[in-house]
Amino acid sequence: MSLIARSEASEGTFLLRPPTVGLWREAPAVGSLVTPGMAIGALEIQGRRVPLFAPSDAGGVVTEVFDAGRARSAVDYDTVLLRLDPEGAGAAVSAAVADVGGAAEGGLVFRSPMSGRFYARPAPDQPPFLAVGDVVEQGQAICLLEVMKTFNRVTYGGPGLPARAKVAAIVPADGDDIDEGAPVLQLEEA
Amino acid sequence: MSAPPTQNTFFHRLLIANRGEVAARVARTCLRLGVTPVFAVSEADRDAAYCADHERVVIGPGRSAQSYLDPERLVQAAKQSGCTALHPGWGFLAESPRFAALAQAHGVTFLGPPAAAMLLMGKKTPAKRAMGRAGLTLIPGSEGILADVDDAKRVAAEVGYPVLLKAESGGGGRGMRIARDADSIEQAYREASGEALAAFGDDRLYLEKLVERGRHVEIQLLADKYGNVVHLGLRDCTVQRNHQKLVEESPAPLLADDERARTLEAAIEATRAIGYVGAGTMELLQDRDGTLRFMEMNTRLQVEHTVSEMRARAHGEPIDLVEQQIRVGAGQRLAFTQDDITLEGHAIECRINAEDPSADFRPAPGRIERLALPTGEGVRVDTHVAEGYVVPPFYDSLLCKVITHGKDRAEAVDRMIAALEALVIEGVPTTASMHLSILRSEAFRSSAYDTGGIPGWPPSPSGGTEDQKENG
Repeated sequence: MSLIARSEASEGTFLLRPPTVGLWREAPAVGSLVTPGMAIGALEIQGRRVPLFAPSDAGGVVTEVFDAGRARSAVDYDTVLLRLDPEGAGAAVSAAVADVGGAAEGGLVFRSPMSGRFYARPAPDQPPFLAVGDVVEQGQAICLLEVMKTFNRVTYGGPGLPARAKVAAIVPADGDDIDEGAPVLQLEEA
Repeated sequence: MSAPPTQNTFFHRLLIANRGEVAARVARTCLRLGVTPVFAVSEADRDAAYCADHERVVIGPGRSAQSYLDPERLVQAAKQSGCTALHPGWGFLAESPRFAALAQAHGVTFLGPPAAAMLLMGKKTPAKRAMGRAGLTLIPGSEGILADVDDAKRVAAEVGYPVLLKAESGGGGRGMRIARDADSIEQAYREASGEALAAFGDDRLYLEKLVERGRHVEIQLLADKYGNVVHLGLRDCTVQRNHQKLVEESPAPLLADDERARTLEAAIEATRAIGYVGAGTMELLQDRDGTLRFMEMNTRLQVEHTVSEMRARAHGEPIDLVEQQIRVGAGQRLAFTQDDITLEGHAIECRINAEDPSADFRPAPGRIERLALPTGEGVRVDTHVAEGYVVPPFYDSLLCKVITHGKDRAEAVDRMIAALEALVIEGVPTTASMHLSILRSEAFRSSAYDTGGIPGWPPSPSGGTEDQKENG
């Protein structure tokens, strides 16, 4: 079971509201990009965690989050969960992704949790963690990030991402220096 | 005089899982008891005056299926607003065993009977059987479900025509057919089972003798968790239009004392036997011989509980049925026995709906431009409506209930006529004019009517006393 948020266009932005009452968890952060169909956390309803997705007609950069994205916020049917700015800084990010992947529209993005040098393989003599077309699951290793001489294994998952997704594109090339928040994987729903 | 409760020993916060007049009624008692009411509201009711100054949880859109009829939303709303109890009111989910069970499973006290008692009373033939065992007189008919049309013919011949074929899972008048003789029963059986299958997914039928020109009588019951059961007398709700009650009164006129006593005793025994808790009502049909026969038990408070409240006192103090529901829900014992209860005078209720009596009672949503409610000795008005209120198109059309009390029936009727004359509702058509016509009629005054017609309605063209032969 999953739920889809309700959207309302308001002064050039989108307001997302839940379709029912519940405790909202795993809210996306201010500044993150929400694209149509992307998970925007989950509603806890009578103890069950029900994933909540953005509707197909709304997307943009998160400019406001209800209750400052507290861990579990009681929300009503008419609570504004997120305000999305379709023209926001996220537009540039989408464009960058589009350049690389060529099919960014409506896609999901896994972003780098920190700045560092991107390695697609666990070791130089081993195959890459992922190839385009693979399905990634929560907790699965995606890449290594070298940060101040330390290799960090980056695993898939996080707020706003489905538990499983298909890799549409791997954005950085092996050995690229990337910033925190830079797109690493472009994803499709699995 | 009892001191105002400074600290209650039951619930601090209570979710009202209903709307309109019902929600306003429940909230009034909550506030008096020091319980914080939290209103579960749809988008359509969010800004209504009756909940404006209170905590609200918006649970869904105006349409009931996604708001007041969704058990999950209501239970979740109770949980996340910190309510430990939930009042279902009447209508919507008040008689849903699943709703009761869901609330209990999530630690929210459902202010109604146990789900099992609701389930039993929700099934027609098991309910009849249980009530018959406890000593209530039943309407003659089949012993449970009919096997087939030949079975129906056999039972019909036994009890005598006309008979009523009814759907086991039925309600609202669907899956029901009258057969007046042996020639028509086959077709009636076919139609009733076909309609029942289409409407309820269950084509099983049972059969009852058709009781014509009876009166609708009911008993208000109240039970705690320890087997203590009392009644608050009988109500008569014979004045109906298309199975919708229009006027209710208590006590029931035209009832022999021994039949009243016998039935009350059996009703209390039956209530105890099924493990019932809280407020409930047994609906009975008074046949032309004056015998009261069990029809069904409503496992909730009813719209017309007010006429019982107007009369009932325990240890000299008025009985508030919502308060009693809260108390027994919290596990308290009833603070009175039958001997402590007195029932005084006569009470009448008129339901004023936003309907147009001159246009076949078409519901009329709209804005209340002007409102003046009657006041005075023995007058009570229960309403959620205020000036400027917009009657939403999603729900029933009840605007207010006017209740009057008098030392006897004549005084209660006089007070009702005066109250309705003083009532002003402008902006939408209402049924108040019909109620006045009923109350002023000789037939109503003398209780000379039955379920076959509405006394004093439609008004006779001459304006004089109407002709009884019209009521057929």
